[in-house]
Amino acid sequence: MGAYVARRLLQMIPIILGVAALVFMLFTSVGEDPALVALGQHATPEAIADLRAEWGLDQPLWMQFLDFLRQIATFDYGRSFNTGEQLTDMFRQGALVSLSLTVFPFLLGTLTNVALGLLIAYFRGSLLDRISTAIFVGSMSISYLVYIIAFQYLLAYKAGVFPIQGYETGLAGVRYLLLPWIIILVVSAGPDIRIYRTVFLDETQADYVRTAFAKGASEASVIFRHILKNALIPILTHVVISIPFLILGAFLMERFFSIPGVGDIMITAINTGDFPILKGLTVLIAIAYAVFNLITDLLYAWVDPRVQLS
Amino acid sequence: MTTTAHTALLALCLSLAVLLGSTGCGEDEAASNDGKKIFYDARRSAHKSLDPPKQFDGASAEIVMNVFDTLVEYDYLARPYRLAPNLLESMPEKSADGRTYIFRLRKGVHFHDDPSFPGGKGRELNADDAIYSIKRFADANVNLKSWVLMAGFVEGLDAFREKTRELGKNVDYDALEVAGLRKLDDHSFEVEFTQENPLALFPFAMTSLSIVPREAVEKYGEDFANKPVGTGPFQIKQYARRGTMILEKNPNYHGRYPNEGAPGDAEAGLLEAAGKPIPFLDEIHMPLIEEPQPAMLKFRKAELDWIGIDKDNFPNMAFKAEDGSFHLKDEYARLYNHYAEPSLAAEYFAFNLQDPLFKDNKALRQAFALAIDTPAFIDLLLNGRALPLQTIVPQPIAGSEEDIGFEYYRQNRELARQKLAEAGYPNGEGLPEVVFEYRAATKDARQGFEFIRNELAEVGIRAKASFNTFSAFLKKIETGNFQIASSGWQADYPDAENFYQLVYGPNRTPGPNSSTFANPEFDALYEQTRYMENGPERFALFERMAEIMKDEVPLLLRYNGIAFGIYQKNLHNLKRHMLVDKPYKYIDKVGEPVL
Repeated sequence: MGAYVARRLLQMIPIILGVAALVFMLFTSVGEDPALVALGQHATPEAIADLRAEWGLDQPLWMQFLDFLRQIATFDYGRSFNTGEQLTDMFRQGALVSLSLTVFPFLLGTLTNVALGLLIAYFRGSLLDRISTAIFVGSMSISYLVYIIAFQYLLAYKAGVFPIQGYETGLAGVRYLLLPWIIILVVSAGPDIRIYRTVFLDETQADYVRTAFAKGASEASVIFRHILKNALIPILTHVVISIPFLILGAFLMERFFSIPGVGDIMITAINTGDFPILKGLTVLIAIAYAVFNLITDLLYAWVDPRVQLS
Repeated sequence: MTTTAHTALLALCLSLAVLLGSTGCGEDEAASNDGKKIFYDARRSAHKSLDPPKQFDGASAEIVMNVFDTLVEYDYLARPYRLAPNLLESMPEKSADGRTYIFRLRKGVHFHDDPSFPGGKGRELNADDAIYSIKRFADANVNLKSWVLMAGFVEGLDAFREKTRELGKNVDYDALEVAGLRKLDDHSFEVEFTQENPLALFPFAMTSLSIVPREAVEKYGEDFANKPVGTGPFQIKQYARRGTMILEKNPNYHGRYPNEGAPGDAEAGLLEAAGKPIPFLDEIHMPLIEEPQPAMLKFRKAELDWIGIDKDNFPNMAFKAEDGSFHLKDEYARLYNHYAEPSLAAEYFAFNLQDPLFKDNKALRQAFALAIDTPAFIDLLLNGRALPLQTIVPQPIAGSEEDIGFEYYRQNRELARQKLAEAGYPNGEGLPEVVFEYRAATKDARQGFEFIRNELAEVGIRAKASFNTFSAFLKKIETGNFQIASSGWQADYPDAENFYQLVYGPNRTPGPNSSTFANPEFDALYEQTRYMENGPERFALFERMAEIMKDEVPLLLRYNGIAFGIYQKNLHNLKRHMLVDKPYKYIDKVGEPVL
């Protein structure tokens, strides 16, 4: 297993290099010129040259790229063009904020959605199944933005149950997170439960289920001891691959609730052409995605002994 | 396993319920203020830097202008906009030749208390601080964004900037004299300008030329951008780039509310505080709220005191009357006050006069100007919230159509067709499709172009749009790779010169004259008016310049937007000033808002 992990980690290097090259090419060829964006109507040639020199954009592209690779290797992404903040600190603080927004509804949502998926699969073809399918398909067709605007208006403004927006660290900040958590739970319910229901239904068609029933096993025993266990691989894939995106936060949610997480930082950076932030975050997400892919593969072997790591 | 899962689920639900009950959800933030006068105002974007010469964006300026002071400032109530002393005892005294001004500082003005001063006690402001701040503003290693607005003004200052560029960061300013900056005594200094120039004092009102203490700059270095120390009406109580920034009152502030106002100000109650010490508010809470929907909801719950109304909310809450005035609907007029103020910006289309199609074809450019109904555009797409430009100078800047009584083209399709024929394209035959360049791909830009395209099609002109990123747009302008560009100019200072320079020949691209218009008569008039005082003589020359622009149509003039905003009934002294975005020091808050 050690050799497998080492090989996979080595394989990540060309992937990260490829991502870095692509990101660098995209931002230097088609992205906004940050000096022009910053200077606006006073973008005189002298001012542009001064600002580009300050930000190191007057260096040859190959030198800029080498510097970018050094940043990736050292996890030191320099400073934001626009605010001068240290990006490592900015990413760390932003990631913690985003995690405070996403982890709780992710855990609670995964538990409840798996349970509901199993329940609905158990009652497949029943009225409950048909009604829930209609509700979930309907809920999936509504834009995320509509949920945010409607819940913010109805529950925060009209009913006054939650603050309209805001963020604080510590326990006092939980009151600001409750409404975003509820929205995330509601929005994730439709697609997740539909996936888990399908996974469980696929398993119920398997030979081992028929065999278990033939041997006289109870329905509860078949569902919880056999089906749930065998359905873990697709569930794990879905869950573990979602983890890197927890750090990235929820773009719209952070924007509308003024939650200063990574998603909000990224949107602001896109609007202002803040390359160091965009380059750093894109590569970090790629690294996280590759790492969690590896973790998923390792978990496969752990939950299903038939899977061989080679 | 099921039992465990159910237990976990139950625990999570219980903790959620406990949190709901214990954290006081929906608590009115505005209510818990311990008797202090707290003003709540949302920031729409995060600031970039609070170090004056390093910032030139609106979000930074709105904090900088409240933490620091400038030598002169815009009079809060006077219209047209004019300068007034701020850190000075009076406006600078001009020498006989008009090139030298003596600046006399107020005595007894102190910087905020800060550890950078001996004993942590803010020391008194002196002439060295002013000279240091001017030099720092000119330092090529410090100010990369706003120097252009003072370039060429002060004797020796441009040479100083070049020297700082050569020497690199952390230049010793004491070792580099500037011929035009001379200290007279502890509280006065003189500035020698390169020529007599009525615009010379405007840069001294820019937030980027706020006065900073050397000790704090040297102590904090780069971190001064986050730990600003000034003489302003407020100081930072809670610093947060992305959360809620809190400013607290400077109890030793030197300023007083203006004694005089514009006509109508007394009737509007804007002079009730005349002569009183400012600021009136104890704290300013500035949460960062980037989306209009939550900001509006918070305003309507009186958790914000002041808000601009966006395009989508305007028709629900307000309307434009037949006479062009703006009003809130009854249900909102009962709750809020409002303002509608021209925004000091000119929106226009620039023709590329190097393009073979438009070069030497004045009639074609006139046909475009006659084809478009700008008032209809304003009513349909801007909620009526703009004034059609009659000259390039927007109201209420001195020299606008208010002063010269000028009228630009009105839509006349018949005449547009005649001009098109005169241009060699009867009914548009033989005229290739023209391309309009836009600086963004926003919904507003797309809708706006659809209107323009339909208007032009009515007279036989075919048009298509190219929606660019801002930098791609600027590059096209810079390289002359465009036909018509949707452009705009925000006033740097309230003088007509700042707008007429947009078509002054020597300012051609890469300067602000993107149409590359060059007309000897216009250029001579511009040079003649540039350094004149406002008055009938200058306005008469402006009228001739406006005539030339109308005849030659280097720019197709469009509109000047109107800023519309609402505020709670318990706010006093709020008068929208388009050059002082956040005049917190004048605002007062008495009693409760109407809910």
